[in-house]
Amino acid sequence: MSSEPRSEFSTHGSGWNPAAASIQPLYNLFVAATEVVLTVDLPYVDQKRVKLHCPTEDSVEIFAETSRKITFRDLGAKHRHGEFTCYRARIRMPVPVDEKKISTKFKRGVLEVHIPRLR
Amino acid sequence: MSNSLSGKDGLRILETATIPKEAVIVNGLPDVGLVGLLAASHIISDLKLKEVGAIESDLLPPMIVLHGGLPKALIRLFAGNGLVVIISETTIPVPLIKPLATGIVDWARTKNTKLMLSLGGMAVANRQDIDAPKVFAALSAKELESKLHGAAEVLEEGYIVGAYGLILRKCAETSVPAITLLTQSYYNYPDPEAAAAALTAVNKILDLNVDVSDLLKRGEEIRLKSKDMMHRTHEEMLRMDKSHEFDLPPMYG
Repeated sequence: MSSEPRSEFSTHGSGWNPAAASIQPLYNLFVAATEVVLTVDLPYVDQKRVKLHCPTEDSVEIFAETSRKITFRDLGAKHRHGEFTCYRARIRMPVPVDEKKISTKFKRGVLEVHIPRLR
Repeated sequence: MSNSLSGKDGLRILETATIPKEAVIVNGLPDVGLVGLLAASHIISDLKLKEVGAIESDLLPPMIVLHGGLPKALIRLFAGNGLVVIISETTIPVPLIKPLATGIVDWARTKNTKLMLSLGGMAVANRQDIDAPKVFAALSAKELESKLHGAAEVLEEGYIVGAYGLILRKCAETSVPAITLLTQSYYNYPDPEAAAAALTAVNKILDLNVDVSDLLKRGEEIRLKSKDMMHRTHEEMLRMDKSHEFDLPPMYG
């Protein structure tokens, strides 16, 4: 189980990055004997708008466009300014993984990714 | 402030309006899937409950929350329709869990509380595949099973980590009737669908008519708006070893 990533995409550690119009999603990691199972909470996202990529053997990058522009005002925060159009996260894998054999499922706005372990 | 009760470790329950006796206390503290907090907040807005008090402690972070331009306590009490609803807009720090649980039950006893109803989540790995989250009930006494009216299945074995476990135990010790409803949910994603399922059970148990349609309709907005709270709650759940709830108790009988 892992907490929300604190990657280079983060500002103020809050997970909202108005400069990049991106939001860090909540995620979970489960390491099984043969695979890593990653789930990511993606409200306001359509499955077709999700892109996955492994820049290295031990990391996964997620980019997902939201179905609409989201503002802090939409969420009730009138004093903060920012518009968000995507989720973005780079998640470190605890073991090396095989990008070529990734399989995904998207249900109830939650992305589930199965990534075979390389070792 | 019209009244206050001071408990252990500097916990103070402040009553800012008259709080009815023999009410049902509903606890909506941040926990698995924020089920309790989302459900309790929805009760407050749907039944238009009035703010009647607050819980303060030196163990809470030094902050307030603004609502309608006014400073509010982090843990507040709302009342109406025979209910007193307790919600927290911050995670409960681990050192505060025990004094808070004890303080709530001690205070409830002074109010001759009819029932202590705590709302929480029960993490399940395949939550995405569950269309209708199931509700389980842990009881302070066997005879409370009849009050469930089939809305929840009795939880016979298992661990409950955190404030709700301590509240239930203390209620059992002091003969305060208590039910803890745990609804199948995501572990660390806000789960308004699970909150709606919990409220459907609450409606049956308390013979209420809380409308959950808005909770479901605004599901995506609620999930995103609660993201930061869920993240902080997750960090606190790690500190209290919440994953212990996945374990099987070794004893039987």
